[in-house]
Amino acid sequence: MTDVDTAINVDGLTKQYGDVRVVESLNLTVKQGETYGFLGPNGAGKSTTIGLLLDYLRPTSGTMRVLGRDPRTEVVEVHERVGILPDRYGLYTDRSARQHVALVVETKGGSDDPKALLERVGLGDAVDQNAGTFSAGMEQRLALAMALVGEPELLILDEPFSGLDPHGVRLVREIVAEEAERGAAIFFSSHVLGQVELVCDRIGILHNGRLVAEGTLRELRDGAEVVADATMEDIFVELTDARVDEGGDKR
Amino acid sequence: MRWSPLARSECRKVVTSKGTWILTVFIVLWGFRPTYAGWDAVGRNLTVGYVQIGVSLFLPVGALLLSYQSLIGERTTGSLKFLLGLPLTRTQVLWAKVTGRTLGIGAAIVVATFVLAVIGLLNHGMFDMLPFVGTLLATLVFVSVLVAIGICISTVTHRTVTAATTIFGYVLVTLFWSQIVTTIYTAVTGVPVDPYDAPASGPLFLALRLTPDGAYNVLTNWFLGVGNSTELFHIVYTKLAPGVSVNAFVVEAAFGGPGPWYLHPVGSILVLLVWLAVPLGLARRVFTRGDAI
Repeated sequence: MTDVDTAINVDGLTKQYGDVRVVESLNLTVKQGETYGFLGPNGAGKSTTIGLLLDYLRPTSGTMRVLGRDPRTEVVEVHERVGILPDRYGLYTDRSARQHVALVVETKGGSDDPKALLERVGLGDAVDQNAGTFSAGMEQRLALAMALVGEPELLILDEPFSGLDPHGVRLVREIVAEEAERGAAIFFSSHVLGQVELVCDRIGILHNGRLVAEGTLRELRDGAEVVADATMEDIFVELTDARVDEGGDKR
Repeated sequence: MRWSPLARSECRKVVTSKGTWILTVFIVLWGFRPTYAGWDAVGRNLTVGYVQIGVSLFLPVGALLLSYQSLIGERTTGSLKFLLGLPLTRTQVLWAKVTGRTLGIGAAIVVATFVLAVIGLLNHGMFDMLPFVGTLLATLVFVSVLVAIGICISTVTHRTVTAATTIFGYVLVTLFWSQIVTTIYTAVTGVPVDPYDAPASGPLFLALRLTPDGAYNVLTNWFLGVGNSTELFHIVYTKLAPGVSVNAFVVEAAFGGPGPWYLHPVGSILVLLVWLAVPLGLARRVFTRGDAI
């Protein structure tokens, strides 16, 4: 598969803190236009992997290509084509939702209307409201609006359902579907397994920093020795429980 | 420039901060100090001296407090993840922060300077434009130096409390710089230093002006034409007045003339530029290497 066909291509990626390997020899490919669910228990290394893809963190070894470019040396070219919703982020409590989105629009040199983006994520009534007054769900919607600026070719969403009520969860799912329909690749990590099952073309399961399973839901079901109608949760528990004794807890 | 929206955002953050305008008020209130010594020293240019007095005391602490959280604060709250998600290199993020904060604090300082200028104009009449413009420019360079130091500390430290302690340490060192320098000088050379009758030592006087604060005072004293010293302008004048003894290090008093070439006030521009370049270089080196969050 060439760089043109892949949104993300990771080869032998390792991130080590002291003696602890948080991500270990990770190989991963996400195709253009694909919706890829990146699952794993707490501390599996999902956010670290995303941090490496976005150049928040630097790898100990291994190579990465995001939209055919190295995020470490071509961060500007990568980030102008990628929409990012990070995990455990903070907003500027003294700025409005509009100002948050406008900063991204202006830096990307785009022409998006911040109000329209905020309306799309259900914050039409809070466009000029200070983000310091937002609930967790509103913060998550605002962060999603920022990720959608510039119709990115790739959306990297780290726990996009976090803090959302059922309406918000449905909204994110619908937006993911719309973006996929537009042709964007979507790479997201989540604990909300039922939603992953609904929206993902392929799923990768990370455990103790290693990719322990990857494929479509059907392929995972076949490989996990579970019953034929097993849910995503059944598969996840089976795959990660089976490997608990193979290594200690990792980030 | 791709980083200009972030720089504008940083500037807006500073300009809308209460701390910035409290600093402005303090500079004006402390700076306006009409004294006979000041009038005798520079006449109507006393107005320019007000700027030096107010800036010398409050700007270092104020500008550092307004800058030291700029990066570590974003790292702590997690908003740095959004900044690093923008299509900017880490160097551009750093540069936008320094530029934005310098412009924001610089704008407040320009307001303070013009308020003092109006007060001085009404009280003493028209002052000379050359020392006024020179002092204003030196003050803006001083602002950029302090912002660079603040952001450097914010970049190289990993905890807010460490950054705050470092700022406190910096302020203490600059405050007691002349005592530190004279103690070291005496320990190395064995020559006691009496500030009432300082030895005509080039290295001693050079060391005294190596802090940003000292360099700023040397430069602005040069614009005011009072003498070559890191002290405030009216103290320099008093020191050089016949029959008066003051504990101040003034080149003309110690050397009986202009002293060695490297003590020329122009050298203070170089000192300030080094204080601008070194913290920026260090911050860039740290921020662009390794993990950013």
